[in-house]
Amino acid sequence: MRRLLTAALLPLACAVSTHAATADTLKIGVLATLSGAGTAWGMSMQGAAELAAEDVNSKGGLEVGGKKYTIEVVSYDDKYKASDALTAINRLAFDDGIKFVVGPVGSAPALAILPVSTENKMITMTMGFTPKALSPDYKYSFRPVLPSDVFSDPQIKWVVEKLGGKRIGGLFPNDESGQQVAAANEKAYEAVGARFVAKEFFERERVDFVPLLTRVLAQNIDAFELDGNSPQTAGLLVKQLREMGFKGPIIRTGGDATADIVKVAGKAATENVYVHQPIDLASPAIQQYAKRFEDKYKIPLNAFSPFFYANLHMLFEAMRKSGTVTDTDKVREAMLALKDFDTVLGKVNWTGQAQWKSNQQLDAPFYVALIKDGAPVVVAKCTPAKCQ
Amino acid sequence: MDYPTLLAQAAVNGLVIGTMYMLMAVGFTLVFGIMRVVNFAHGEFYMLGTFAAFFTYAQWELPFAACLVIAAVSVGILGVLVERAIIQPFRTDELSGMIATLAVSVIVQNAAVLVWGPTPRSMPNVVEGVLTIGPFTFPWSRLLVIVAAALIFAAFWFFMQRTRLGRAMRAVAQDTETALIQGIRVNTIYPIAFGMSVALAALAGALMAPIFSVSPFVGLTPMLKAFVVVILGGLGSVPGAVVGGLLLGLIESFTATALGSLVADMLQLLLVILILLVRPWGLLGQREA
Repeated sequence: MRRLLTAALLPLACAVSTHAATADTLKIGVLATLSGAGTAWGMSMQGAAELAAEDVNSKGGLEVGGKKYTIEVVSYDDKYKASDALTAINRLAFDDGIKFVVGPVGSAPALAILPVSTENKMITMTMGFTPKALSPDYKYSFRPVLPSDVFSDPQIKWVVEKLGGKRIGGLFPNDESGQQVAAANEKAYEAVGARFVAKEFFERERVDFVPLLTRVLAQNIDAFELDGNSPQTAGLLVKQLREMGFKGPIIRTGGDATADIVKVAGKAATENVYVHQPIDLASPAIQQYAKRFEDKYKIPLNAFSPFFYANLHMLFEAMRKSGTVTDTDKVREAMLALKDFDTVLGKVNWTGQAQWKSNQQLDAPFYVALIKDGAPVVVAKCTPAKCQ
Repeated sequence: MDYPTLLAQAAVNGLVIGTMYMLMAVGFTLVFGIMRVVNFAHGEFYMLGTFAAFFTYAQWELPFAACLVIAAVSVGILGVLVERAIIQPFRTDELSGMIATLAVSVIVQNAAVLVWGPTPRSMPNVVEGVLTIGPFTFPWSRLLVIVAAALIFAAFWFFMQRTRLGRAMRAVAQDTETALIQGIRVNTIYPIAFGMSVALAALAGALMAPIFSVSPFVGLTPMLKAFVVVILGGLGSVPGAVVGGLLLGLIESFTATALGSLVADMLQLLLVILILLVRPWGLLGQREA
């Protein structure tokens, strides 16, 4: 008798609970690298999602089309591998029914998941630098952070003019990100009269770089470029380079990794390393965000985090304006219509139509900084045209 | 940089990596030689060694020698418990034993992620500074690894050759039945052997922690290398593990320096295939009857 009652009540209970879930929960997916050398980046995105969700939830939820939604963040680790990212996006699409995804971190995983996310009309916000991530073929793919394509030319021009180096060496991971970044860097350095004389590729999991660095140093380089390497790897490279007696300048024209580089290599080794600084650490809005992030997660803020935070707030605004959380075509259009939107980064706009025929790249100023005593000190402010 | 410097750098680096491989492989082959168990979780005990070193040296700031002892003893005791609980039931069934160790590796790695988080941590160098001999510069932190590993192995060799327990282990490795007849308690030998084996792995991890990073995922690569070394040197042969480990480290270092890492990685695995085709019992192993 009891069995019969349970069997009868169970479907009713399920119906009630699922109905309750769709009525007031909006799930945002995070598909990022939450383990291994790229963890700092993945955590920055997950943190941005959770903090943006907190902002909205603490005000009673996201009000869209007359209904209030509680934002819930669902995370998956792709380990920076295309195969794991694909598994995760399939789960997000088919098991979880999520339409908005923060991620992936890497270019290789991004290119792997974009066909799936586009077919399922999922809006994604990637960190991947590859130019192929934004295209008319992937109309739901957005990129909040500025890629090497945009910042390496002005930054490299400025640094090379300052340092006067001619022979550049670098180590790159052997996948989509590494290969794209290596190509972009080579072009940028050649445009200002320097030459990439030593370029080595390695498998992403490697931690012992001494043989490769020996090869690079054998070419008598003037300066070493760290672009393309994940934060932990970049730190190990700086540490091992200095241990091998390399005293020349080290440049990182790449995604923010400053905190990890200092943590792994130490203050002495990282003194006077040139880094790409995506955010202005002096701005009060950023400082407030940084404090919030660091208090909650107990790890230093990675400079990419505010970009995803800003993009998510734009997404929420787009949902409010379009009146829907399920029709991603309408949400996408509403998001692209936002101009001079006020965010933690300042006023932001969309760009990218000229370069990639997809106007879904967030546009914000960036900076060149020098690491002094373990912290980045801004030495130049940049636009895609030039740095000064 | 000129050729002598290049060669010297590559040689020292090869010895550093080689001694680490040697410690991993000796432990691995010990367990196989005595217990006929392939311990797929060997790499995870290396990982536990790196964490033990991280907590004792970087956080509690104990002297490094004490950290090594703590790492070896704590992981060794864990190894004894794992042997009694998980491996002993499968003593007669080698295949199930291997699968059990695979399960242990997954459990240990994921437990580490749950407890310590996935973020890699860095450990400060044990000794700072460099040694300069003429035109050659070597960081002390790397030279320390070579010296420490050599001392650890010397202690291990002394134990195996000169103590009763060591002789008993070698007897069990040679012929378990006869050893039993002679009154050697196999049920005591097995856990101790397993504990020693994983203690060696933990020591390798503790020594390499300042040079590479400390994270729950560092165990896989040393494990794979241990496999390669053991195939190269001969499964069950301790001298083979030593020779194989040093050789692999040097080969890896020289080929990576000369040809780049992608070619070097390929070459190592081609070497394994070659050995398996031409001399499957390894350089110093014994032909299976």
